[in-house]
Amino acid sequence: MTTSDEPELAQETAELVRPYVITNGRDLLDDSDFSLITLVTMHREPPRTKPLDPEKLRLLELCAGGFLSVAEIAGHMQLPVGVVKILVSDLTAEGHLSTRAPIPSAQLVDRQILEEVLNGLQARFG
Amino acid sequence: MTPYFQDPALWGLIVGTPAAATAIVRGRKKIAELRNEKAELKQHYANLENHYTEAVEEAKDRAEEATKNTLKAAMRTLQGLASEQQLAISKMQGAYGEHQILQDLLDIDHMNSQFARRAQSIAVLCDGWLGRRRNAASLYDVVRSAKGRIRHFTRVEIRSQSNFAIVSRAVEPVALTLAELLDNATSYSAPETMIEINIRPVPKGVCIVVDDAGVGMNEEEKARAAELLSSEHSPGVSSLGNPPQFGFTVIGVLAARYGFSVSVDSTSPYGGVRAVVLLPDDLLTSVHEPEESPAVAASTPMPPEENNPRPAAPVTTAGGLPKRRRRGAISIVPTESESANSPARDSATTASVMGAFQRGTQSGRRSTNASSEGHETP
Repeated sequence: MTTSDEPELAQETAELVRPYVITNGRDLLDDSDFSLITLVTMHREPPRTKPLDPEKLRLLELCAGGFLSVAEIAGHMQLPVGVVKILVSDLTAEGHLSTRAPIPSAQLVDRQILEEVLNGLQARFG
Repeated sequence: MTPYFQDPALWGLIVGTPAAATAIVRGRKKIAELRNEKAELKQHYANLENHYTEAVEEAKDRAEEATKNTLKAAMRTLQGLASEQQLAISKMQGAYGEHQILQDLLDIDHMNSQFARRAQSIAVLCDGWLGRRRNAASLYDVVRSAKGRIRHFTRVEIRSQSNFAIVSRAVEPVALTLAELLDNATSYSAPETMIEINIRPVPKGVCIVVDDAGVGMNEEEKARAAELLSSEHSPGVSSLGNPPQFGFTVIGVLAARYGFSVSVDSTSPYGGVRAVVLLPDDLLTSVHEPEESPAVAASTPMPPEENNPRPAAPVTTAGGLPKRRRRGAISIVPTESESANSPARDSATTASVMGAFQRGTQSGRRSTNASSEGHETP
């Protein structure tokens, strides 16, 4: 029975502490709160709170030096982005982190203006 | 005298007496023989009875052994599949981290952990496989892992952290023991009550104290639990009762096999059961080992740290808060895309990229018409 489909072949083991335990079974946040490129940094004066979970401490350490995006944090911590968002949200609410909205991408310029500029340039140098 | 001689009764008597005597003697002999025979038969019967009991006992043992072997093999397959599935779920969680599907994946992960725990418990009763060996882990993580293996885990509150870690071989047994205790605690208390876990260092090691606000146990139940928890040998799969009660039996087997002790004979401050797991010193190790786990080391070192001549200080935390240390701008906005795009570079590549980056900024600074976008590599 165990010889044919021996499941021992996969050598890796999954993480001991599962992500749903890290979030304590809470629902995921709405996408509106944080995006992948929301920037996060450690607050200048971290509040004195009860001891934080190891994951939160690690997150704070990652952000201690400057701004880091949510996506980067998730990559470094090897946790799902949705879980990281919950941690970031908690830490922000407790005052450990401050967040900054992502730099907005440049507004799309009206196609008509571009065409006029092109025409003008061509008229002058073309 | 003569008439007497002529009396046939006398002759009858004379002849009859020895005959009677002989008959009596014979009878006595017969009785003695029969008595002996009876004793022999009794002995024989007792022997037979003994043999019979032995045979039944042996058959029972053999049946138990066969059941155990069957279950052990079956559970091993299930455990392997559960662990494979857990890995697959982990990968999916990483891949769909920002989708709503993550919620369902987290739920499935939870169900899978409960399923794996059930299989593990049965395996323990059959002297089977406990699961793949894990690295030494902090006590806090082991407790959290245990918490994740029961259905109503959100009712469990871990009130204290500790600096202790559990040695590799004891991680799974302790986690499984705690999970069984927590399962009992959540099953025998009202759904709105919390279960508290406290970790206390004691002279002999560390105690994990689980308090519930349930109905508690009466003296009879306590005695039965104490018997199960202290028994050296497993009572076997066939004597678990109906419905089968795994918890204490599994814990008893694990405690005996790995050398820790569990007691449930005290009452919690909330009126329920207080379960205490005492882990002796030889199952404990220091917390620093697991912190520098290979998983962390395998992740990309932060690029500016490669440039930093200071050796990376060990990640230590004092007073529960992170030690704030300057490590240069690990994540200044312009480099963001660079480090985010390739999170799994090896250190040599990172170093060469950073070297190029440095040369680029230097040449940029030297040049008169330096671009403001100094991070562009030449």
